[in-house]
Amino acid sequence: MTEPLLEVVGYRGAFRSPTGELTPVLHDVSYQLKRGLITAVVGETGSGKSLVALSTLGIQPPSFRRTAGRILFKGVDLLSMDEASLRKVRGRQISMVFQDARAALNPVFTVGRQLADVFQLQHGGTRAAAMAQAIEALRLVYIPEPERRARQYPHEFSGGMAQRVMIAMAALVCQPELLILDEPTTGLDVTIQSEIMTLIVDLCKGRGLTACLITHDLGVVVETCDEVVVMNAGRVVETGSAEAIFTAPKNDYTRKLLAASQLVEAA
Amino acid sequence: MSKLTDARDVLVLALRRRATPGPGGVVGLKAPLSQSIPSEKPRRRARAPLSWSMRIGAAILLVYVTVALVSFVWTPYDPFQPGVGDGYAPPSMEFLLGTDRLGADMVSRLMAGARYDLGICLVAVSISLTVGTVLGTIAGYYGGYVDIVILRIVEAFQAFPGLLFAMLMVKAVGPGVPNIIMVLSFVGIPDYLRLARAEIQSRRDWQYAEAARMVGNRPWRVAFRHLLPNSIGPILAFTSINAAFVALVTASLGFLGLGLGPNTPEWGNMIARGQDGVMTGEWWVSFFPGLAILGMTGSFYLLGDGLSDLTDPRRRR
Amino acid sequence: MLLRRKQYMPLTLLILRRLLWVLPVALGVVTITFFMARVFTGDPTELYTPPEATDALRAQIRAQLGLADSLPRQYIRYLHDLSQLNLGTSFTTGQSVGSDLWLRLPATLELGFVGLTFGVVFGIPLGVIAAVNRERWPDFLIRGLTLGGMALPQFWIGLVLIMFFFVTLRWLPGPVGRLPVGVPLPPLVTGFLLIDTLVAGDFPKWLLAVRQLILPGLTLGLSTMAPVARVTRSSMVEAMQSDYIRTAVAMGHSKRVVWFRYSLRNALLPVVTLIGGVAGHILGGAVLLEAIFAWPGLGQYALQAIERSDFAALQGFVIYASLLYVIVFLIVDLIYMLIDPRMRS
Repeated sequence: MTEPLLEVVGYRGAFRSPTGELTPVLHDVSYQLKRGLITAVVGETGSGKSLVALSTLGIQPPSFRRTAGRILFKGVDLLSMDEASLRKVRGRQISMVFQDARAALNPVFTVGRQLADVFQLQHGGTRAAAMAQAIEALRLVYIPEPERRARQYPHEFSGGMAQRVMIAMAALVCQPELLILDEPTTGLDVTIQSEIMTLIVDLCKGRGLTACLITHDLGVVVETCDEVVVMNAGRVVETGSAEAIFTAPKNDYTRKLLAASQLVEAA
Repeated sequence: MSKLTDARDVLVLALRRRATPGPGGVVGLKAPLSQSIPSEKPRRRARAPLSWSMRIGAAILLVYVTVALVSFVWTPYDPFQPGVGDGYAPPSMEFLLGTDRLGADMVSRLMAGARYDLGICLVAVSISLTVGTVLGTIAGYYGGYVDIVILRIVEAFQAFPGLLFAMLMVKAVGPGVPNIIMVLSFVGIPDYLRLARAEIQSRRDWQYAEAARMVGNRPWRVAFRHLLPNSIGPILAFTSINAAFVALVTASLGFLGLGLGPNTPEWGNMIARGQDGVMTGEWWVSFFPGLAILGMTGSFYLLGDGLSDLTDPRRRR
Repeated sequence: MLLRRKQYMPLTLLILRRLLWVLPVALGVVTITFFMARVFTGDPTELYTPPEATDALRAQIRAQLGLADSLPRQYIRYLHDLSQLNLGTSFTTGQSVGSDLWLRLPATLELGFVGLTFGVVFGIPLGVIAAVNRERWPDFLIRGLTLGGMALPQFWIGLVLIMFFFVTLRWLPGPVGRLPVGVPLPPLVTGFLLIDTLVAGDFPKWLLAVRQLILPGLTLGLSTMAPVARVTRSSMVEAMQSDYIRTAVAMGHSKRVVWFRYSLRNALLPVVTLIGGVAGHILGGAVLLEAIFAWPGLGQYALQAIERSDFAALQGFVIYASLLYVIVFLIVDLIYMLIDPRMRS
């Protein structure tokens, strides 16, 4: 049994109000992300699934405080790293795709420039070379006319296109071992959703990436993910392989979730 | 909408936004129907912390109010009585902040001055706030011709430099405290109007407004009972900026000798009358009234910082 | 970052449309001034008539001042003159208002630019420092200073500076205007002393002009610096909370890059608007500042016009001030188009 790439161990956290009160939101969250597999973390809005992911990279909201637990990446606790070491992990070893791609990209810089900046950050080299790589990355996520598109700004892209750019940035320009995707298809049209999911799966399987797909939509999970972690109100209620979860859910909440998403077909 | 209006709106909104910790997100003015927050009651937390800015600001303002009220009953000397001391006597044990050119005590005049600067300011701001917000709500909610007409008129007035407009109006309507109050209220109305209008417009199509309409509420009820209370935040935060502006304009008018009698212990007026003293070394006549203005206006800004924090809807746990 | 060729067409359209928009605003403003000015308590004729004048003489003077007709007729006449770009004649100077304004413009502009430059050059970095050091001592210090800059009347700041640097220390010259008393102006080229003196090769006079500019420029600069620093700070702090900054951090960019390459760029937008507003205000003539420093600019002109009920001069000034606001905001918009690509579509 290979060692998991990422392991969340007993993670507990709370939001700190301006008065100093702590409202616990995560209760003893533990799960593993196995190498080379796509693991889905599913749960409704507010279940805390994004918080764990953001904590991994150290970009959780400032009002969130960890109260206990560790997040082990290749055996090293990310939460005990200092900023400088964490910065080396970001992008290089773990990278992230965010939900609203158009808001997640800087509106006053061209898309190509942003991609090139990340390329130069990760791999060095000249600006021209970085730009060429940026265009290539756009091509690889099936954006037509990548040379022209690279000179455009995020607001000139549709939601789906912008998400491709985001994926290009996080999975191609960065070459991480672990790719976290926080609700990458939420808010997109249904047809676009499946296109994006196909792209993600292709990239991950093609490059042997370990992926963590955070979503509230079981529909995107069913065709694509290998493992599933179900969260509810800050707790992990069930984990297992996708097949097991969908065909034989053990927990009541999991069953409710499945029923609500109308995926209860004869497996 | 002309860029001028957009630019001012951006400015006012940028000024009132104070960074608060919270999940990231670019806050836009318009939320699509699917994302409107169902209940946006301004949070009245029993134990909401008051930031230091707000505490200090409120404390200072309280001191000013107290001084102004006390001055009606007691001052060390008579503020309107010249010659209690020598002209231009420097600060001493007898006259803590010195005397002015005519020999009147500075401390007493400063205390009495609070009545004018603070009083005029508070009344004028209240009037501007009320009238501007009501008009802005009407313009923002009803839209159409009413909106266009009101907006154009307001734009014409806003193109005037504020101080100049106040000067002109004071000359036109004549001197006296009530007139000054009226003039200053007038000057402030456009900004409140624009602010209220922008806030109301952005919320007009949100779900809870739809709900209120569907239930059968009359338009004015929806506008004033439902939309307006949720828009109060930025308007209140702007109040402090407006108050500071009014205070400075009051002082400027006083400095120019417009609108109040020459012996009025209004702080701007006192600064002007101490000008000759500055050149010959009697600095205290012009100096201390400025500090008085600093304290009052500063407290408005501090309160404003605190208010905008409190009413910022992005303040999540 | 520069505009592409196909965007020049809508650009000229924007400028034209904006200039066209000036007209109704200017008209509205002028009308308001016109009627408000003439509602002055006290007929200005009295100010220009010797006390022993006969009624006939008084009537003659009134007619000369153009006040004999009914108000509406005066208004129509004024509009007619305006359409021919005639701003009327000033009661006090006897010259055409247009030439008055033109003569005084450089003084106001020169002082305004100096103050504005000072305010921006110091204000933006201070705002950045405050934002980067949020909630630490540099932030508190800067916020305290800027609070003072915004809460104090400009004329008081000016007086205190005069008190300190002129009366007490004798380092800088007194508030007597653009040049010391008795020093003649250099030959007129642009009207800006800092330029004209150099053009005439008169370096000592250039120095004199500079020294006279320091105190008023500093006063203006300090009060400009305050809001600029504040808005820069809050704007940067807000930018730092945005999604796109979170992405940049997640990709591994260093703090320096995140703050100075990304955040600052985005934060500049509200700052540009603010600077525009301030510029419009300053270049419209800092009335009180010019009064204290005996600066022969448009602010002083406006003040005199109000005090002497000089209607034409006042109206002329108001037209100038509102035109200026529109031009300034047009420039702001153009700058916006340059730095914010979302504005270009």
